[in-house]
Amino acid sequence: MNPGDRVRVERGSVANEGVLMPSTTADHLVVKLPGGYNVGIDREAAAVEVLERDVYDVESAGEDADASTVEFDDDLPTVSLISTGGTIASTVDYRTGAVTAQFDAEDVLRAVPDLAGRANYRGRVVANILSENMTPAVWQDLARAVHEEIEAGADGVVVMHGTDTMQYTASALSFMLETPVPVVFTGSQRSADRPSSDNVMNAVCAVEAATSDRAEVLLCMHASSSDDACALHRATRVRKNHTSRRDAFETVGAKPIGRVDYDDETVTFRRDGPERGATDLAIAPDLETSVELLKFTPGMNPAALDYLDDAAGVVIEGTGLGHVATDWIDRIEELIGAGTTVTMTSQCLEGRVCDRVYDTGRDLLDAGVVEAGDTLPETATAKLMWALANRSDPAAAMRESIAGELQPRSVPWT
Amino acid sequence: MSEYDYEALGLVAGLEIHQQLDTATKLFCACPTERREPENAVRTFSRYLHPTTSELGELDEAAVEESRVDREFEYLAFDTTCLVEEDDEPPGRVDDEALDVALQIADLLDMTVVDQAHVMRKIVVDGSNTSGFQRSALIGQDGQIETDAGPVGVEDLLLEEESAGRVAETDAGVRYSLDRLGIPLVEIGTRPDIGTPEQAREAAERIGMLLRSTGTVKRGLGTIRQDVNVSIADGARVEIKGVQALDQIDEIVRLEVRRQVELLDVADELAERDAAVGSPQDVTDVFADTDSGVIRGALDDGGRVQAVPLYGFDGLVGRELQPDRRFGTELSDHAKRHGAGGIFHTDELPAYGVTEAEVGALRETVDAGPEDAVAIVADDPETAELAIDAVAERAQTGIEGVPEETRDATDEGTTRYLRPLPGAARMYPETDVPPVEPDPSDVERPELLTETVERYQSEYGLDAGLAEQVAYGRRMPLFERAVDAGVDATFAAGVLESTLTELRRDGVAVDRLTDEHLLGTLRLVADDDLAKEGVDEVLETLADDPDLDPEAAVEAAGLAGVSEDEVRDAVADVVERNADQVEQEGMGAFSALMGECMGALRGKADGEVVSDALREEIGKRT
Repeated sequence: MNPGDRVRVERGSVANEGVLMPSTTADHLVVKLPGGYNVGIDREAAAVEVLERDVYDVESAGEDADASTVEFDDDLPTVSLISTGGTIASTVDYRTGAVTAQFDAEDVLRAVPDLAGRANYRGRVVANILSENMTPAVWQDLARAVHEEIEAGADGVVVMHGTDTMQYTASALSFMLETPVPVVFTGSQRSADRPSSDNVMNAVCAVEAATSDRAEVLLCMHASSSDDACALHRATRVRKNHTSRRDAFETVGAKPIGRVDYDDETVTFRRDGPERGATDLAIAPDLETSVELLKFTPGMNPAALDYLDDAAGVVIEGTGLGHVATDWIDRIEELIGAGTTVTMTSQCLEGRVCDRVYDTGRDLLDAGVVEAGDTLPETATAKLMWALANRSDPAAAMRESIAGELQPRSVPWT
Repeated sequence: MSEYDYEALGLVAGLEIHQQLDTATKLFCACPTERREPENAVRTFSRYLHPTTSELGELDEAAVEESRVDREFEYLAFDTTCLVEEDDEPPGRVDDEALDVALQIADLLDMTVVDQAHVMRKIVVDGSNTSGFQRSALIGQDGQIETDAGPVGVEDLLLEEESAGRVAETDAGVRYSLDRLGIPLVEIGTRPDIGTPEQAREAAERIGMLLRSTGTVKRGLGTIRQDVNVSIADGARVEIKGVQALDQIDEIVRLEVRRQVELLDVADELAERDAAVGSPQDVTDVFADTDSGVIRGALDDGGRVQAVPLYGFDGLVGRELQPDRRFGTELSDHAKRHGAGGIFHTDELPAYGVTEAEVGALRETVDAGPEDAVAIVADDPETAELAIDAVAERAQTGIEGVPEETRDATDEGTTRYLRPLPGAARMYPETDVPPVEPDPSDVERPELLTETVERYQSEYGLDAGLAEQVAYGRRMPLFERAVDAGVDATFAAGVLESTLTELRRDGVAVDRLTDEHLLGTLRLVADDDLAKEGVDEVLETLADDPDLDPEAAVEAAGLAGVSEDEVRDAVADVVERNADQVEQEGMGAFSALMGECMGALRGKADGEVVSDALREEIGKRT
């Protein structure tokens, strides 16, 4: 017997007929009863009779056979939909019970019919992975894909990405690409297989942002728990600040840069930025991947740094204004002496690093540590990878703003 | 109307009983299972829902129909709800207490408990679940209950989460309250073994008694709901939702049988007449100058009038199926379902401002003769078109007989169309909650309330009526505690049932009395610190000021500390004042003086002590 067979299972005085489903445990048969309920039956104690083979093709269930016939409309802009996997493009894997990415960009179009009529779409799959499995190598593939799409005439790009590490990828692309069109990252916090998924509104708003006049890398996700608007975040200033909420993403150190209203589908920006067409398309995809992000905690063994001896770059997430314990300073000085670029960010997340205030900070500066200003630790990590591969003076690069990651003024209320 | 021969009609009925459990926390989160008032909401948010396919790749018909209506749902959240109810956090594991109660219920229904329970998502896109599905697990199968007319099989026992309560219709959709969402709920489905309306009611009562025997079910309006499935031979399975009162069940079954009998009769007649449903068409021009308020209003707002000719239907659209519900009402229900206000049909026209001339022109336009009927809908162009299609579809099934569907119970015992019957395609696994392997040996079988009633009679000497009142009453656990604490059973039962009812009738806010208030007051009497006669006043004092404890209430009511000596003095005074009467009547004066003594002591003293003293005092003088 195999999943998809119609079976009759007798166990004690109860007989159940239904479709055999994949089971997550070895000890139980899972049968889908006519009413739709699944029930687990002790395999040892059950007598099974196969009534009919392969009633359902469980493996390919949910894959729609009808390909969408998308018509090209000259009056509409062209938006490239790039899928990397993640919840917005995922469905449930009924063998493992887990949510996995199985959709390509075409499926997203089919899953979100509301996208129709807003743009002509080009679908492209760069990866099919959950975002925790993302690597700098995939960031590079993605940057090249986005570059190609824009070169081929896309008026905007929407990247569908798992939310866990979206901020890293979006940051990395901000450094690798100079873009004349919007590049908008979006995803979803509730999987697409549920009626309440946030994928529909996020995808619609992302397409609206991608057809707007703002040419930079943005991240578009729910602005609140309601399905009424998405916030547009500058990719280098955003963070996933909640494990599960729809509005998990927040701009740190400022208000979100813009907003897409779902009701009237208007895109508005509260701060200036590069306009569509103002920048020539360019790509600098090289990354030095030997960079680590290290969070300092009280009493932490300085031997943690031994592992970083050969690293090209280290981002430290220090305490407060940018500190580590005094007994770390000599080891950090050795690292820098051996050629590692060490940059300081703060685990406070909000606010600017300032190592001139306390002795420890001054000692760190003397040891050669580079202050990253108010750059977020995750953004600083992607930036340092890029700077080490593309700038002759990476330390100097860490002190200046390349893609809006380092704010010149501390005005978090704007 | 004479009663039908249900056996001859082939009546088959089943019940689905939904009962909220009175657990400490909700089924998938640690929030309390407390109901709240909408005005106490602390935040609101709004959402849309979109139907999705099952794991077998199918779409549920009921879900699809629901989602055709594009609606915005607004939710009220409270300081007693969390992100789980808001669908902004994954659910926790199945609540242990709820599972235990479900296993107890399975035991009481003689069911076999499943080896492994899988939590499923039942797609519901009417907004009553923030997730767009209701989480539900099959816990038990294959049980049975007894009724006078024979056993009724129990097909399944489900443990599921209660939906959010509907607060109001809004301009954009519906407003729901999250307090109810996630309260554990058991659903018990019987086999279609029920053959008469009376048996349906008896089975429901039996199941209700078994549920209450657990002592862990919610009480009060809306905490138990009965769905009734009814079909007759040649009819169809109709699921009637939301019957709130047990004593309505037999009437609901009777009226649904009547509806199906009438619909079959209509179908027969339509077949004889070779009836057919024509194509819907726009007849706005017919009503260009109409004085009908409804149609005029729709047209002035840019609306259209759509009509469908029903060939051979003349007279049958107006046929009564249930009290005040005609075949035309059924057509109208489908139009309403798609957003229209309703329909007009030629069996009821001319009326509502539609003139005879307009009816004539209408018939002519759609090519309908005198043996035909025409139904019309006036609304905005899109709604009118959707609604008239739905009307045509329902009329077509009228030719075929009784459609399978879900209907909604009204207060009168009649029903109205709700949605198509949901199918298996609305179910897929809730992957956020791992399957559980319930252990039925973990739970104890509770005493049945029928057994409790007998025990109260044999052990405590309560009469049958009072025993039943207490056992089935809300304060049964409190009664047991009081008796355990040494309070006389008859006295405790009297206070908890009669006294409280009387106080409520007198306008005392007895709802504010806590179990501790009541138990404490009863104990004061048991310990001779309060006279039975003072109980009313103490409870009234506590209801006025619930912050007091019973001892303080006794003080506040001025009922404290009457010693036996003080009683004697007071009695002696009364006898002295009435010396003449005592001399003439002797013990014959007892009754009259007893009242006066109690009045003088203002209920502070126990009646028996007073009567003893009085008897003694009279005895001295005669």
